[in-house]
Amino acid sequence: MAPQNLSTFCLLLLYLIGAVIAGRDFYKILGVPRSASIKDIKKAYRKLALQLHPDRNPDDPQAQEKFQDLGAAYEVLSDSEKRKQYDTYGEEGLKDGHQSSHGDIFSHFFGDFGFMFGGTPRQQDRNIPRGSDIIVDLEVTLEEVYAGNFVEVVRNKPVARQAPGKRKCNCRQEMRTTQLGPGRFQMTQEVVCDECPNVKLVNEERTLEVEIEPGVRDGMEYPFIGEGEILIVDFYCPNFLHPIFERRGDDLYTNVTISLVESLVGFEMAITHLDGHKVHISRDKITRPGAKLWKKGEGLPNFDNNNIKGSLIITFDVDFPKEQLTEEAREGIKRLLKQGSVQKVYNGLQGY
Amino acid sequence: MWIAGCGGATGPVLLGLLLELLVPGGGAAKTGAGLVTCGSVLKLLNTHHRVRLHSHDIKYGSGSGQQSVTGVESSDDANSYWRIRGGSEGGCPRGSPVRCGQAVRLTHVLTGKNLHTHHFPSPLSNNQEVSAFGEDGEGDDLDLWTVRCSGQHWEREAAVRFQHVGTSVFLSVTGEQYGSPIRGQHEVHGMPSANTYNTWKAMEGIFIKPSVEPSAGHDEL
Repeated sequence: MAPQNLSTFCLLLLYLIGAVIAGRDFYKILGVPRSASIKDIKKAYRKLALQLHPDRNPDDPQAQEKFQDLGAAYEVLSDSEKRKQYDTYGEEGLKDGHQSSHGDIFSHFFGDFGFMFGGTPRQQDRNIPRGSDIIVDLEVTLEEVYAGNFVEVVRNKPVARQAPGKRKCNCRQEMRTTQLGPGRFQMTQEVVCDECPNVKLVNEERTLEVEIEPGVRDGMEYPFIGEGEILIVDFYCPNFLHPIFERRGDDLYTNVTISLVESLVGFEMAITHLDGHKVHISRDKITRPGAKLWKKGEGLPNFDNNNIKGSLIITFDVDFPKEQLTEEAREGIKRLLKQGSVQKVYNGLQGY
Repeated sequence: MWIAGCGGATGPVLLGLLLELLVPGGGAAKTGAGLVTCGSVLKLLNTHHRVRLHSHDIKYGSGSGQQSVTGVESSDDANSYWRIRGGSEGGCPRGSPVRCGQAVRLTHVLTGKNLHTHHFPSPLSNNQEVSAFGEDGEGDDLDLWTVRCSGQHWEREAAVRFQHVGTSVFLSVTGEQYGSPIRGQHEVHGMPSANTYNTWKAMEGIFIKPSVEPSAGHDEL
């Protein structure tokens, strides 16, 4: 082999070894920038976990490894301590190895189902008591509907765990034949049971992550499917009014009161939106009371496609001066506006 | 504007950290993992008789004739779930830890009625009848119960009492049991004094962790 090729080969080998030793790039695995917030990290995890789950990629031999990498990345970057260590020292800089299995992290977001991707549901063991389905009404704010959020909850429930000894199960009635003497038999009914491993119910706790997805509508459900039970989170925006915005579907409505002068000569203003960004309004024409201004793309994100947003509809009303005008002011206004008397009488209700 | 905001915030935050270090058992307090918060759904266990607070679509045959509230021995009944809510709409946002001395409403998840008591006698022991009242979580002023506990907040591990705001009775179980059609279920009623029959502990359920305010995007200085 020519010396040039050999040295390139050695360099390449060293680089590869170096890359392996240096550890994985967790930010790249999650597809987030180094400055990503915890919310962005959770969102990225949730999206990729569904895509990369091995059950969803049966033909990919590296699916398991990619999925493990994803879990490791989330475990480190979602913990502020571990993330700091990782940012400074890289993967080997992390004090202890990754303890929790990726299965645990996955089920925090999705529950423990094995059948989500089209398999058959696990057989219900009738001897283990079925947990009860529980529905949680989760109150969400309009700000959360706009930007999304994650809510951490702790689920405490009784779980069947192995206990020492055996217990009776599958008890049934059977006919037993006993011989009393030559040619004489007796049929009796007996209760016959099998022996099963003993179980006891222990209250266990687990942290779950509920995602409030942008654009979520009242009544939408987020199911966590656990062992033999379903936890449904039902979103709703509470009855009391938001002080600024009113939601209608994906559109937002708001009202602005302007002064009489502003309505006649024009004005500039900014409305602070749900996530803090400003919506600028600039008028140089006359603004009538009841006039509506449509700001496309400033409403709520659509649940099915977050890139599409509804509109913000602003309705203006005019604040008339409270004190009576002086004689001088009245004459002045008549001269300035040069408007004659109108006084048109007509049916304004039109059948309503 | 932002300089003032950020500066203003560090004062209370530092104080908060100091307090957490001083309070014993600060581990649980720091993460707030052990607290009961508004919006949580849970089962309540009467510590003396080991029954869970329960309701169902069965009305009292006497007294007010409203939906009955009982204590059940089973730990596995979906009808034992109650939702903790503030005393008024918006009074206790999702994830706010319930303070000792705060008035809350307990809404029965499956029927939408609130834990309620009033001047009617209970059917078995002649104490004060406790019922479930209202529609879709909306009842009246007699749905308010003050959480009586020691310390600052209602901790999940703690045994607490529920004292009715309108009539001052404590939610209690003294052991009387019903016959058919709710055989074996215990009577739950209101008693005027605090004693071992009226302590309750949060058991199974979904506990919303105390929430951290999401920042509405600010500039780094």
